[in-house]
Amino acid sequence: MFEFSLYTFRERWQLFVGSILTVAVGVGLMQASLRVLIAAQDPPVPAGASVIEAARIRESYDGATTLMGMTMLLSAFLAIFVVSSTFAFTVAQRRRDLALLRLVGGSKRQLRRLLLSEALLLGACGAVLGVPVGMLALRVQIWLTKELGFLPQDFTVSPSGWVVLATAAAGVVIALLGVRAAAWRAAKVRPLEALRDTGAARQVMTPARWVVGLLLAGVAAGLVVLAQAVGSVAALVVAMGFAMIGAVALSLLSPLVVPLTSRVFGFVLRYSTLGRIAEANLREGVRRSASTAAPLIVLISLVLGLFGALSSLTKAAAQEQLDTVNGDLIVRSTGAEAGRVSTVDGVAVASPEIEVPMALTMTVLNADSGEPEEEKYYSGITAIDPAAYQRTHDVSMLAGSLADLSGDTIAATLISEHRAEIGTTASAELDGRTLALRLVGTMPEGLASGESFLVPLSVVPPDVLAGAPAETVVVLADGADPAAVTKTLRGKGFEVSTVADWVASTSARREQDDVGIMVVLMGLAGLYTALAVVNSVVIAYAARRHEFATARVTGLKRVQVVRMALIESCAVTFIGLFLGGLVVAGTLLGVGAATGSALGTPVVAVPWTLGSILAAGAFVVTSVTSVLTTLSATRPRPVTLVAARE
Amino acid sequence: MTETGPNGATDSVAAAVVELRGVTREYGSKQARVCALAGVDVAFSPGTWTAVMGPSGSGKSTLLHCAAGLEQVSGGQVFLLGEEITDASDNKLTELRRRSIGFVFQTFNLINSLSAEQNVALPLKLAGRTVAKKQVRAALAAVGLADRLRHRPAELSGGQQQRVAIARAMVTRPAVLFADEPTGALDSKSARNVMTLLRDLVSSDNQTIVMVTHDPAAAASADSVLYLSDGRIIDQDFRPTVHGVADRLARLER
Repeated sequence: MFEFSLYTFRERWQLFVGSILTVAVGVGLMQASLRVLIAAQDPPVPAGASVIEAARIRESYDGATTLMGMTMLLSAFLAIFVVSSTFAFTVAQRRRDLALLRLVGGSKRQLRRLLLSEALLLGACGAVLGVPVGMLALRVQIWLTKELGFLPQDFTVSPSGWVVLATAAAGVVIALLGVRAAAWRAAKVRPLEALRDTGAARQVMTPARWVVGLLLAGVAAGLVVLAQAVGSVAALVVAMGFAMIGAVALSLLSPLVVPLTSRVFGFVLRYSTLGRIAEANLREGVRRSASTAAPLIVLISLVLGLFGALSSLTKAAAQEQLDTVNGDLIVRSTGAEAGRVSTVDGVAVASPEIEVPMALTMTVLNADSGEPEEEKYYSGITAIDPAAYQRTHDVSMLAGSLADLSGDTIAATLISEHRAEIGTTASAELDGRTLALRLVGTMPEGLASGESFLVPLSVVPPDVLAGAPAETVVVLADGADPAAVTKTLRGKGFEVSTVADWVASTSARREQDDVGIMVVLMGLAGLYTALAVVNSVVIAYAARRHEFATARVTGLKRVQVVRMALIESCAVTFIGLFLGGLVVAGTLLGVGAATGSALGTPVVAVPWTLGSILAAGAFVVTSVTSVLTTLSATRPRPVTLVAARE
Repeated sequence: MTETGPNGATDSVAAAVVELRGVTREYGSKQARVCALAGVDVAFSPGTWTAVMGPSGSGKSTLLHCAAGLEQVSGGQVFLLGEEITDASDNKLTELRRRSIGFVFQTFNLINSLSAEQNVALPLKLAGRTVAKKQVRAALAAVGLADRLRHRPAELSGGQQQRVAIARAMVTRPAVLFADEPTGALDSKSARNVMTLLRDLVSSDNQTIVMVTHDPAAAASADSVLYLSDGRIIDQDFRPTVHGVADRLARLER
C-alpha cells in the first residue's frame, strides 16, 4: 500500500511537501520557544550579588519567561491548527483517488491505515527536519528577544536533548491526530464517488463542524464577558485566548460565509464572464475556499487581536494616568534634589515620588480561596509624602486610608487575584536592615500599574533616597505662570515636562515595548502562518490542473484562466480577512469592556495601520502564489490533461 | 414483466450470476422524488454478455450500480452468485469487489500516478494476495499491452487506457464484469478493439458481462440487449444487429 503513497507523491508532491513543511516549522517553533522558556526560568545569578541585584536579574528574566510562555503556547496552538488543517485538507483533496481505491477492492480499514501511515511518515520526516529548523528558529528568537531588551545580552541556552525529542514526538502526534478525523471521514467515501468528475465531498458543514464551531464561538463570547471582570494583564491573556478560540471557531464556520462572499463578488463582477466563472468556482469549491482562508483567519485574529489589545491597554493606561494625576508639571531629578522643588516660587504643592530599591515579603490572600500565600516584591515600591501625594492624585481605596501612612507603614496595590487584610505586617529588606511595615491601605489594580506599593519617605534612610530616581508632581500656585516656573526649575538643573507630555512619553515607551512584544511573540509565528497560507493556496490550485485544462479547452486563454484563479484567490483572501476581522472586533470589544469598567469610558485602539499593511500583504502573497501556481498548473497543453482524465 | 436470462429459460434463476428482483430506486425526498428504477426483474446467466440500452435518464447506470452493490436499492432484492447482497455490509461489499466483481468505466478511472502494471496489480494488493508478476503481465498481455507495462496512463492512448482498465478488472477473475459505457470515450477503431476483447472473454473464459451503453455498434456485439425506459425493462432483443438496435433506440427516444 505504501507503494501507492509513494507514487501519489510523484503526482501530488505539493500536498506532501506542504505537509512535511508545516510539521517541520511547527516543531521548530515549539522547540525554540520551549528551549528559551526553560533557559529563562533559571536565571544565572552571580555569586555574591546582593538580594536586590539578584532580584533585578531574576525580574529581567521574569518578563522573558512570561513572554516565552505565551510564545510557546502560541507555537503549540499554531502547530496543531496549521498541521491538522493542512493534513485534513490534503485528505479531502484526494477524495476521488480514495474512492477509486474503494472501487477496486480497498476496504475502509485499508484506507484509514494508508492515510494514517502516510501521516506517520510525513510527520516523522517533518519532525526530523524540524530539528535544524528549530536551531535556526532558536537563534532568531534569542537574537530578537535580546535585541528588544526582554533578555540580558549574556543570555545563553544550553542544549537540551529531551526538548528536541519531545517536540519532535509532538509533531508526529499532532500530524496523526490531525489526519485521524479526516481519515475516518475519508474512509466513508462511497466508491461511486470515483465516477464523479469532482472528488469534492458533498457536505462541507458536517455536524461535527457545526457543533464544535458553535461551541467554540460560545466559549469565545464567554471570554468577552469574562474580560470585563479581570485586570489588565489578565485581559491580555484573555484577548489571546479569544483570538485563538475565535479563529478556530470561525475557521470551522467559514464554509457558511463562502457562498455569501462569492455572491457579493459575483454581484460586483456581474458584467465580466471571468468574474461569473470565478463566482461559480467559489461556490463549487467551498471546502477548498474554507481551507485556504483558515490560516489567514488565524493570522489576522492573532496579530491584529493581540496588537489591538496591547495598544488599547497602553492607550487606556495613558488615559488613566491623565485622569488620576492632578498636577501641572512633572519634575525629574535624583532623590537628593527632589526636596528642593517645593521651595521654588510658584510651586503650590510638590509631591516627590522616589523609587526605592527594596525587597518586600508579604503574606497575601488568594482572592478566591482565601488561602494565604507568601509573595516577594522587588520593584514598584515608591516612597511618597502622603499629604502631597493625596493632593496630586485621585486615590481610590479598597480599604484603609493613605492618611494613616506614617511611621513604619505601607499601602499596597495588588493584582486582582490577591488581597490583603489591613494590619498585615510586611517585611522589608532595605539597605541591609529589615523593617516590619504595617499595611494601612489597599488600592485597586489600575491599568498603568500592576503590583505597586507606597511607603512614607520617613521609612527610607536619606542616603538611599538621595541616590534613587525621583519624579515630582507639581501643582502651581494660583496665578503662577507655567512657563516662568518651568524656566526657573530648568535653571536649577531640573528636568521638567507638562503632565500631558510626561504621560505621552511614558505611553510612547510602552508602545515601543508593545511592538517588541508583538515581534517576539508573533514574528516567527506570523511567518509560519503566512507559510501556511501560501501552502494551502498551492495545494488548492495545483490539484486543479484538469479543471483549468477543461476551461481552456472550452475557450479560455491561459491568461484568462490565470485571471480567473486570481479573482478567486482575492475572494478567498477577502473571506479570510473578513472573518479574521470579526475575531479582532470581538477582541477589541472585550478590551473595550475591560477598559470601560476601569475608566468609566471604554478606550480602544484599533490597529488600522497594521491592519492595512497585513491586508495588503495578504492580498499580495495570495495573489502572487495563485498566479505562479496557476501558471505552473497550466503549463502542459490542455488537451493532454483533458484526455488523461484525472 | 418477469424477464429472464438471454436464453429465455426461467429455471436458470438459481444459476444466475446476478439477479435483481423487483428492484426500485428512488432519489430525493417526498416532494422532489425521482424514480430511477421502477421495479426491475432481471437475471444475468453465466457466460452471457448483456447490453443495457435506453435513452438518457432511463435508469441504465442506476441499474448497473444497484446490481454491483454500489448503490443501495429503495426496494426489492439483489442477488450475486445466489447470495442476497441487498443490505450487505460495507465489508461484505468490499469482499465482493475483491473477489466477484470487476468494473470498467467510460472514464477509465486508472490511478494516474501508477504505471499500467501497478494499476493492474492494485486489486490483488488490496485483496492482500501475493502478486505474481506473471499473473499481472499475463492480464496485460491478454489485452494486447505486453509492451506497455511501465507506461503511466497519461502516456497511453484512450483505447490503451481502457484496455489497462479491463486488465485491472479481469486480473481477479471476477464472476461478473460490469462495464459502464466502456466505449464512450473511444474512437471507433479503439471501440471495436475493446468489443473484440470483451467477446473473447465471454467465448473463451465464459465471462459474464453486464454493459451499459449508448452505442448501437457496441450493443450489437453483445449476446442480448435489454431496453430500459423510465426505469422499467420494456424489451429484450436476443439477436441484436447494429441497425435493429439503432432503430429500436431511436423509437424509444422519440
